Amino acid sequence: MPIEHSFNPYGDSSGGSTLAIAGKDFAILAGDTRHSTGYSIDSRNESQIHSVGDGLLVSPNGFSADARAFVDDVHNDIIWYHHKHNKKLAISSCARSIMHTLYRRRFFPYYVSPILVGIEPDGTGAVYSFDPVGSYEREASRAAGHASELLVPFLDNQVRKANQVDPETGKPLAQHDLDLETALQLVKDAFAGAAERRIQVGDWLEIAVVTKDGHKVERYPLRRD
Amino acid sequence: MDILIGLQTANEVILVTSRAISRGVSVLKHDDNKVVKLNSYTAMAYSGEPGDVSNFAEYIQANVALYGLRHGIEMTPNSVAAFTRSELARSLRTRKPYQVNLLIGGFHPREAKPMLAWVDYLGSKVDLPYAAHGYAAYYITATLDRYWKKGLTLEQGLKLAAQCVSELQTRMPIDFKGCDVHIVGKSGIQSADLPPIVVAPGVANKPSEATLASA
Amino acid sequence: MSNPSEINGGAAVAMVGKDCVAIASDLRLGLQSVGISGDFEKIFEYNGVYLALTGLATDVQTLSIDFRKKHSLYELREERRMEPQTMANLVSSTLYSKRFGPYFVGPLVAGLNSSTSKPYICSFDSIGCIEHANDFVVVGTASDQLYGICESLYEPNLEPEDLFETISQALMSAVDRDALSGWGGVVYIIEKDKVTKRYLKTRQD
Repeated sequence: MPIEHSFNPYGDSSGGSTLAIAGKDFAILAGDTRHSTGYSIDSRNESQIHSVGDGLLVSPNGFSADARAFVDDVHNDIIWYHHKHNKKLAISSCARSIMHTLYRRRFFPYYVSPILVGIEPDGTGAVYSFDPVGSYEREASRAAGHASELLVPFLDNQVRKANQVDPETGKPLAQHDLDLETALQLVKDAFAGAAERRIQVGDWLEIAVVTKDGHKVERYPLRRD
Repeated sequence: MDILIGLQTANEVILVTSRAISRGVSVLKHDDNKVVKLNSYTAMAYSGEPGDVSNFAEYIQANVALYGLRHGIEMTPNSVAAFTRSELARSLRTRKPYQVNLLIGGFHPREAKPMLAWVDYLGSKVDLPYAAHGYAAYYITATLDRYWKKGLTLEQGLKLAAQCVSELQTRMPIDFKGCDVHIVGKSGIQSADLPPIVVAPGVANKPSEATLASA
Repeated sequence: MSNPSEINGGAAVAMVGKDCVAIASDLRLGLQSVGISGDFEKIFEYNGVYLALTGLATDVQTLSIDFRKKHSLYELREERRMEPQTMANLVSSTLYSKRFGPYFVGPLVAGLNSSTSKPYICSFDSIGCIEHANDFVVVGTASDQLYGICESLYEPNLEPEDLFETISQALMSAVDRDALSGWGGVVYIIEKDKVTKRYLKTRQD
């Protein structure tokens, strides 16, 4: 029997789930604070929401070593942008920069599903989501992580109004901009549901709201089992 | 890569099957018949593992005939399809399952209605207005989705079948040596020929104005 | 192809309301990514008891007929209706009898008790382990999606019409995010002396 040696550079330690919704003049980035490896809970208090400067928030959701390295990369890119250009980095430019950061490692990728939120120069709230090798898109809402399958249909239904019709006219309901209060309630309901059915999701829900005046983070309890 | 196509028209079912038998890169036979007559109003087109197909087709044919002799009344096409399905479902959990895919075309003489059943080797059976098995399905379901409609005349149905075969002749990687056509209707099971397709010069398989107008 | 439960695709959900239950499924039958039929109903009725069968289509068909036979023999022998609980036990024992060569199905039972009118729903795994619930149960290739949206949309004690809206929205949003489910849907609302069957128009992709 020959002896084999191998090294797997990817681990399975990761955060739970993240979720983002873009509004007319705000954007929400939410994530639970549970961090787990298999059936073990590593931490009940590991934030997935990172402020990288210029009013931008990033959640890197995925393999945690890569997630940290990725956030540092994004943070450094913004610092260097300031040194070189002496101005704020617009969110659309930050998104393109993240694409390059991820694609540079096309054949040894960061094992992450990042979401970037902030305010566009025109004042609208923005959500950009990425795959591990840099494909990205600006969207009205996005969920990533262990509970993304559970969260996405709910967002389709409540944010995009998929399959809903106006009871008066029978015409499909159009997506309209959510007010902040409704959006926050959706996020809380979505995570309460996800924590109910996914063991990787729980402990605390952190919700960051970004507006033109900056961001603030609030915490709400989730299931701890 | 055998081709099985079935489509219902207002009063009959058309079954189209390829004539070639091929093994690897060789064509062994160019006038093979892949349709078996089960009783006066039921025909079955088959494809799959060589050996299994003929054995299974004979088994079904014999049992359907036996039923007719014993009871003095023939099985309805729906009963034949249900029986065939259950035999495949039973076979699936044996040591060596039959690997046979089928289209069963029939006509209810009392209700004067055609029926077409799609049956795969697992024993899944669905009644469909039009159906195909194997690679042919990838090429022609779009054509049938677009041009099939309820209440086609036999002539329109044959034209549509010819359109499908013409598509396959253009796109299939091997020559399947043309197709046999069987029609199941109120006068039983008959063979037929496909009408010639007018292909626009220079454009492979562009549907002719006549085909488009009739569909 | 390696997983028999995911060859044909399909999903189903059942919910409890106020003095009523609802059961719903999609209508797709496919072979991997190719759609074959858009009217493959997966919900079967056995004298007021409803059974949804998702999974491998050949087993869905075999079992729906097998249960028809067993249910009929039960009612002839006992000269009374079969309760949903009894149906659940019948499904469970039938599936467990094939413990080491299972039917690849995900069943769901829904109904009202014939004497007390108490709502009853449950789901099963492919070898017959019963899972009871007093809110909702889900099965099929879109079960993750269904869990997520049901957990958020469901509330207890809904009236029949509201229950219909809830289960329909849940089913449609869930199957739209599953490539193997969809192509239309069907919903049954079961009340004490009324059953309403409605078809849902959904995305066709």
